[in-house]
Amino acid sequence: MLYLSQVIGRPVRDGQGESIGKVADLIVALGDRYPPVTGLVVMTDRRRIFLPWSDVASFDASGATLATSIIDIGKFAQRPNELLLFLDLQDKQIVDLDGRKVVRVNDLVLDEIEGKLHLVAVDVGPAGLLRRLGVEGPVRTLARNLGRSVPERFIDWEDVDPLESSIASIRLRVPHRGLRELHPADLAGIIDELAPRDRAGILATLDDEIAADAIEEMEPDTQVEVMEDLAPERAADILEEMSPDDAADLIADLSDTARDRILPLMEREEAEEVQELLGYPEDSAGGIMTTEYIGIPATLKASETIDRLRELEPDAETIYYVYVVDEAGKLVGVLSLRDLIVAPADAVVRDFMLGEPVALGVLADQEEVARVVARYNLLAVPVVDDEGRLVGIVTVDDALDTVLPTAWKRRLPRVFSRGGG
Amino acid sequence: MRLPAAPEGVRRRVRAAGSELGPLARFRERIAAGDLLRLRPRFRGRGLLAFLAVMGPGLIAGIAGNEAGGLTTYSVLGAETGFRLLWLFPLTTVVLMIVQEMAARLGVVTGQGLSDLIRDWFGVRWTAFAMLVLFVANLGQTIAEFAGIAAALEIFGLPRLLTVPLTAVALWALVLFASYRTVERVFLSVILVFVTYIVSAFVSGPDWGEVGRALVTPSFELAPATLLLMVALVGTTITPYMQFYLQSAVAEKGIDEEELRLEQADAVGGAIWTNVVALFVVVATAQTLHAAGVRITDAADAAQALGPVAGELSTALFAIGLFGASVLAAMILPISTSFVICEAFGWESGVGKPFREAPAFFGIYTVTLFAGAVIVLLPFLPPLIDVLLFTQNLQGLLLPIVLVFMFRLVNNERLLGRHVNGPIRNALTLAAIVLVVALDAILLGVGALEAIGLRLG
Repeated sequence: MLYLSQVIGRPVRDGQGESIGKVADLIVALGDRYPPVTGLVVMTDRRRIFLPWSDVASFDASGATLATSIIDIGKFAQRPNELLLFLDLQDKQIVDLDGRKVVRVNDLVLDEIEGKLHLVAVDVGPAGLLRRLGVEGPVRTLARNLGRSVPERFIDWEDVDPLESSIASIRLRVPHRGLRELHPADLAGIIDELAPRDRAGILATLDDEIAADAIEEMEPDTQVEVMEDLAPERAADILEEMSPDDAADLIADLSDTARDRILPLMEREEAEEVQELLGYPEDSAGGIMTTEYIGIPATLKASETIDRLRELEPDAETIYYVYVVDEAGKLVGVLSLRDLIVAPADAVVRDFMLGEPVALGVLADQEEVARVVARYNLLAVPVVDDEGRLVGIVTVDDALDTVLPTAWKRRLPRVFSRGGG
Repeated sequence: MRLPAAPEGVRRRVRAAGSELGPLARFRERIAAGDLLRLRPRFRGRGLLAFLAVMGPGLIAGIAGNEAGGLTTYSVLGAETGFRLLWLFPLTTVVLMIVQEMAARLGVVTGQGLSDLIRDWFGVRWTAFAMLVLFVANLGQTIAEFAGIAAALEIFGLPRLLTVPLTAVALWALVLFASYRTVERVFLSVILVFVTYIVSAFVSGPDWGEVGRALVTPSFELAPATLLLMVALVGTTITPYMQFYLQSAVAEKGIDEEELRLEQADAVGGAIWTNVVALFVVVATAQTLHAAGVRITDAADAAQALGPVAGELSTALFAIGLFGASVLAAMILPISTSFVICEAFGWESGVGKPFREAPAFFGIYTVTLFAGAVIVLLPFLPPLIDVLLFTQNLQGLLLPIVLVFMFRLVNNERLLGRHVNGPIRNALTLAAIVLVVALDAILLGVGALEAIGLRLG
């Protein structure tokens, strides 16, 4: 095992043992699980030269020895899928997919796999920092005498996602494959921590649905920044994938110019839903409700209702209640998911639904909504218009947002958060 | 009957922990995480952020730069030297313009903060050095803010042994639970006081011709007291901390490269605004205090400069302004110091996080804040005015280090591409650095000679 910091600046000797320069950087080829080292950058008296790894006979903490004494400067160049370890990764920010956060590279760990040197891990722990400061040895001795140990932390290269802004040597398109597997809230947290350029890079590689889920989880300020940085077409596509209440809130926060650019590009159906929601005061039931809910006629059988649910694949927040409406759209009853599952398959909804369900008017105050949700222990409360027609539901998370706002506390220091003085 | 549109495919809510949690369980998590205050919906799109968004980071940096240290330095400068050192203002204005423009350009083009870039391009050792410098500078600045708080409240007869610890504890908690409203009010009160200075400068009826001549007539003396004031003026006008703030604020706003010119104008405008306000503070104090031969020994003396406008209210107005400016800066300094250092070393940060997840972040924050407060309470401390001036000298002495890092970065072609410094900009920047270094060197040289018993001039 070898640390990058141990080899940078070490002498490079040719086949005869003559010193020709110092190790300036190592080149790895991305693509495999562990990127193999493919080249060596040597700093000679006057310039940086690139050498293919096949020219290197031995390589360790004492330096590099070349297999040949004839150096052909012209025959090696950095290819598009290759990274310079020192220039592009050392000291840069990366996404730790395992810990789901943005961290800084203190050192890089190289190791031989089947006789070839590969990049295997990233050192992000205090030990790496001390090594770079040149005091790892003394501090370790001190710690040992105190009966403690210096904390170490490594991330397997497989769990690392590099970021665009740090890749200075070439315009590498980072695929961000690992990020797509993260929970939207974690992804939102990571995007939140990044510089705008990296945000754009990551969002460009995500599909609309994942991007929408992640954006829903962000702080309102970040949502607006991210949306206004996107191309209007892409922003419209993502808004269509968001739940209408979140989309409406976000659109309400956009600048007038951004709103005028994005809204016309949305599909008509989604745009109408959003427009309708935008018509209600922000702090009313109408303002916080979503128009995504499940409404069925009272004549359906339990089995048919379950089939309908399968067909609709509703979101987690909306699946717990099935609302029963008459021909005019008036709310006449409600079923919980439990009621539905325990009912005999051929039972008719009218016979086991709960009649006269708790409902709120569209203009009900949001605090009233929160009270009702808490009082009746509901996961969602239906919202009806003046004629008693079901127009939407407020899910428990949105209802309680008034009493328990999302991470608002981070907003003050956010102004200063990115390395900010 | 209304049915929702079926989403295409199954939404991916897999793998990560918490995905199987129902909404109620998620709320229990939020409660555990401490999100308990009820503020969000009412502040959306309004308040300080909206206000700041309109003003631009350069202008904010300019306004926030005039805090306790600035107010004191300008007041003492005006009282002690009258119009004699006014010629420094055109120079500090140009230097601040150059420096703020660099910070703004770095922020726009790279989208990263200054400590990020230092870590990215200079490695761990230089980063450790830069962060140590910044920590010392910001600790000095925090001391200045607590000295300002103590001085302001002593005007009302409140002893600092009571006020400083109380404010420190209140600030410590406030930053972790603050509402924008509070910050906004403090911010506006500060602007109000500076506007009073502008009015006061006019009402006191100086000979504007004389002011104009003083602005372009250099006079130089090697008296240590004057040199100290000169370095303090540079240090308080161009604080290291402000450059970190400005670049981060610009980066945070995500300003496009196409809007670079606008942002440069904002940075340059902010530099001019700071110095114009400072100039009026000096003119107002010179006209009232210097003319009357008053030496400033405490904050109540400095308050007399507002006399022409506020009359008997001037002491109270000055105290409120000084308190507001100090509290505002004391709210921001320790927390941003902590953010900057954690960012550079990749340590977990964020006030919303539990302590055990971000020990370094809360540790640096707490240490900076309370060390600043404790130092002001030390029994053998010189008068607060001297402490304030000393901290501003410290800024002036540490400034060149930050400027050299910035200079290296704006010359990095891989980083800035076509926005890299050209020869003319480089000449200007170098001249600015040389000017600051020369002033620092003269101060240190004269100080050293003085220490071994030699006296110049």
